[in-house]
Amino acid sequence: MDETNRLLGLQDEVGESKDNGDTQKGKYMIFKSGNEYFGLEIQYVQQIIQYQTVTKIPETEDYIRGLINLRGRIIPVVDVRLRFCQGPCEYNDKTCILVINVKSTTVGLIVEQIAEVAEIKEDNILPPPTIGRADRAHHKYVYGIGKVGNTVKLLLDPEKLLYDDEPVDPEQSKLNEE
Amino acid sequence: MAEDFNTESMLDMYLFENTQLLEQLQETVLEQKDADCFDEDSINEIFRTMHTIKGSSGIMMFDNITAVSHKLEDVFFYLRESHPDNVPHVELVEHVLEVEDFISSEMEKIRNGDPADGDASDIIADLDRFLNMIKNGGAADSGNPPPENVHEEPKHFYIAPVATSASRFYKIFITFFPETEMANVHAYKTVYALKEIAEDILYSPEDILTDEKSGDIIIKEGFRILLQAQCSEQEVRDLIGVGYDIEKVEVYECDADQFLLGFDFGDQAPAAPQIDLESSVETIEARQEEAQKEKAEEKKPETPKIVPGDFVIQSKEPGKQKKLAKDKPKGEKASFISVNVSKMDQLMDLIGELVISESVVLQNSDLKVPGLNLDNFNKAAAQLASISTDLQNVIMSMRMVPLTNTFQKMNRIVFDVSRKLGKDIEFVMVGDTTEVDKNIIEHISDPLMHLVRNAVDHGIETNEERAQSGKHEKGKVTLSAKTEAGKVWISVEDNGTGLDREKILAKARKQGILDDNKPDAAYTDKEVYQFITLPGFSTNETVTEYSGRGVGMDVVVQNIQAIGGALEIESTPGQGSVMSLKIPLTLAIIDGIVMEVGTSSFVMETGVIKQFIRVKEDMMVHEPNGDEFVMIRGECFPVLRLGKWYGLEEYQESVEDGVMLILEVEDKKVCLLVDKLVGEQEIVVKPIPSYIKKVKGLSGCTQLGDGSIALILDAPGLVE
Repeated sequence: MDETNRLLGLQDEVGESKDNGDTQKGKYMIFKSGNEYFGLEIQYVQQIIQYQTVTKIPETEDYIRGLINLRGRIIPVVDVRLRFCQGPCEYNDKTCILVINVKSTTVGLIVEQIAEVAEIKEDNILPPPTIGRADRAHHKYVYGIGKVGNTVKLLLDPEKLLYDDEPVDPEQSKLNEE
Repeated sequence: MAEDFNTESMLDMYLFENTQLLEQLQETVLEQKDADCFDEDSINEIFRTMHTIKGSSGIMMFDNITAVSHKLEDVFFYLRESHPDNVPHVELVEHVLEVEDFISSEMEKIRNGDPADGDASDIIADLDRFLNMIKNGGAADSGNPPPENVHEEPKHFYIAPVATSASRFYKIFITFFPETEMANVHAYKTVYALKEIAEDILYSPEDILTDEKSGDIIIKEGFRILLQAQCSEQEVRDLIGVGYDIEKVEVYECDADQFLLGFDFGDQAPAAPQIDLESSVETIEARQEEAQKEKAEEKKPETPKIVPGDFVIQSKEPGKQKKLAKDKPKGEKASFISVNVSKMDQLMDLIGELVISESVVLQNSDLKVPGLNLDNFNKAAAQLASISTDLQNVIMSMRMVPLTNTFQKMNRIVFDVSRKLGKDIEFVMVGDTTEVDKNIIEHISDPLMHLVRNAVDHGIETNEERAQSGKHEKGKVTLSAKTEAGKVWISVEDNGTGLDREKILAKARKQGILDDNKPDAAYTDKEVYQFITLPGFSTNETVTEYSGRGVGMDVVVQNIQAIGGALEIESTPGQGSVMSLKIPLTLAIIDGIVMEVGTSSFVMETGVIKQFIRVKEDMMVHEPNGDEFVMIRGECFPVLRLGKWYGLEEYQESVEDGVMLILEVEDKKVCLLVDKLVGEQEIVVKPIPSYIKKVKGLSGCTQLGDGSIALILDAPGLVE
């Protein structure tokens, strides 16, 4: 139940910043997938719901888990772990579906855990390093690296996340950074 | 002036109201097109409709619409007042429809944001000629326009022309609001309006257009008009009463002698103008009501009793109300509001959600604790369930629209085409109140139009041909609709020649459609008739304006198939043919069989399933390449294992544990193996989100009663 309340709190935060457009800028929804923390600009986030049963669709990519019924709307859901080739994991009560809206397409992202809403100033966002195997462009979902205190969050480009076909291993970009 | 208002919403309202009025008008006209003349009520109705359109178009400054409606109003005014004999009824009907068409097309332009620039002069000239003709007792039209009744510059001591018996004389006194600017212009507007009906008119002050000071005089002393016209007081009032700037209108009827005396209101209306200024609104209203009552009691509204200080016209509403009250007993017209479709969709989604959360509550695992006493809970739950079912039905019914309007349009087409072709045709509508989903109606209008045209054009013979073949009854086209087995059947029936089997076969032979080895006799009638739905197939030798180009039937079939319908053709030589459209009630809901494979649910449209069957292992035939077949009663069907096909989990391997569905799509049959059947239910079709690539064999998804999602199988895709 604590988890539910925490999510509701976060949901409110999303709603609030939606209400007055300016404060949306610089705010990121931070979630955990594997060992990494990822950030998604809050303007894309529509809703956070707890994991619910997904109806599988045959003959689709693995990372497309299927369909869920979001209050009468049927939307596809993507497993972020699978998208990043982090290997499947069990869904538990911390698993959430982050409903995002990109260019009027609504998609749910299955994430292991929602962390927080963080504000990251533009000065604290660095371009992803291009050292090493830049030709393979492993960091293509990650357009920047945000510093929050001592930690770093990988900032995601939701469009590429949804539409780029080749799944990537974010571990690589992390390694590159180091 | 119009710029001062927010015309946007006014325009919407204008278009909406007038569209409805015109639809009603057309209905009225077509109802009586076969009669010898319009009855009293319809004449009044048409007159009123035109009057309303004229008024609102005038306000919106669509001059051509105003002009045309005015002209038609004149015609009907004449009909109403003079009851002329020998009115060529069909011609009149055509005139009315012509006007209706013109106004509709202008309104369409307005709706699209284009200027309403249609040229009305032809129609007006036609109407003038027509009016003139009926005024001359139906005598042949001399071709001269009617004499202009208006005297442009009336002299003060003008000697009126010899009054005809129908002429009436009025003294009119108009008071403008003191703050009105340019009252002289407003006054001129009134005079201009009155000129249309006036046989003679003069007014004071006279120089209203040239002398700006006259405006002040008008405000101070009022504006006086002497009018000789063949119309009732009410009409005079209606003409004057359009402006918002007029505070008060007084109309006194007088006789010719008084009329000739000119503006000597003297003893007749002493100090009348000021009285009402002091009266409270209530008294004025009360007076209005009184006047209303008096009027209502009078048999002939043209001769109202004149009470000094008669009622003050503030708007046209009082008069209108009376008319509406008169309308009511005649039609059971329901009142409507128009609602944005997106709101309806939203409501539908919300209700879907409600149903789901209902099942979440009612089947909550907390309730499964043994030993709970749930009697009261179950009672309440049952009630909740019945309410939400009702709610679902209501929202569905809100999307349903009766076919009446569509059928009316067909009525019009039959009328037009039969007139042009010189065929005498009766049009009958059956079951036009059958309700169909709005989306469907949009799709069937065009195909239906084609079928009706075909029926009139080359279904029914010309009058001479009918006489020759000894058919004595009139040509008849019947358009009927009924719901049966969850489908709507709309049929177009004619009592004409019927389809010519030999002709169609010959043509098909020529076009190389037929199988050379198959004799003509081997084709059933049904097969033969289906040929006419092929592209480029027309047996009509001569191309007419309406049909015979060979495009048409194929388009009809295509359009009908696009909404999941079918066309059936029946025909009896010499007796006519019936074209039946079989259409689903709604696009959004289909009847489906819900089934399970492994952990997934699927839905298959009931219509394509021919049979359910359990098979034994020994009925299976395995090919070396992995293909499987099943022998059922000596027939061999290819087998499709849904679980294997889609790579699902935990599905039944053995055919003996599953159920076979025999699907038939366009003569191709296939057996589908699923684990088990869940049941048949109506399902709401939703598209699969576009983010997911198209999967072969899936046409959509739906939400089952418990909120879970089932995928809808697309039979044609599977059969391929």
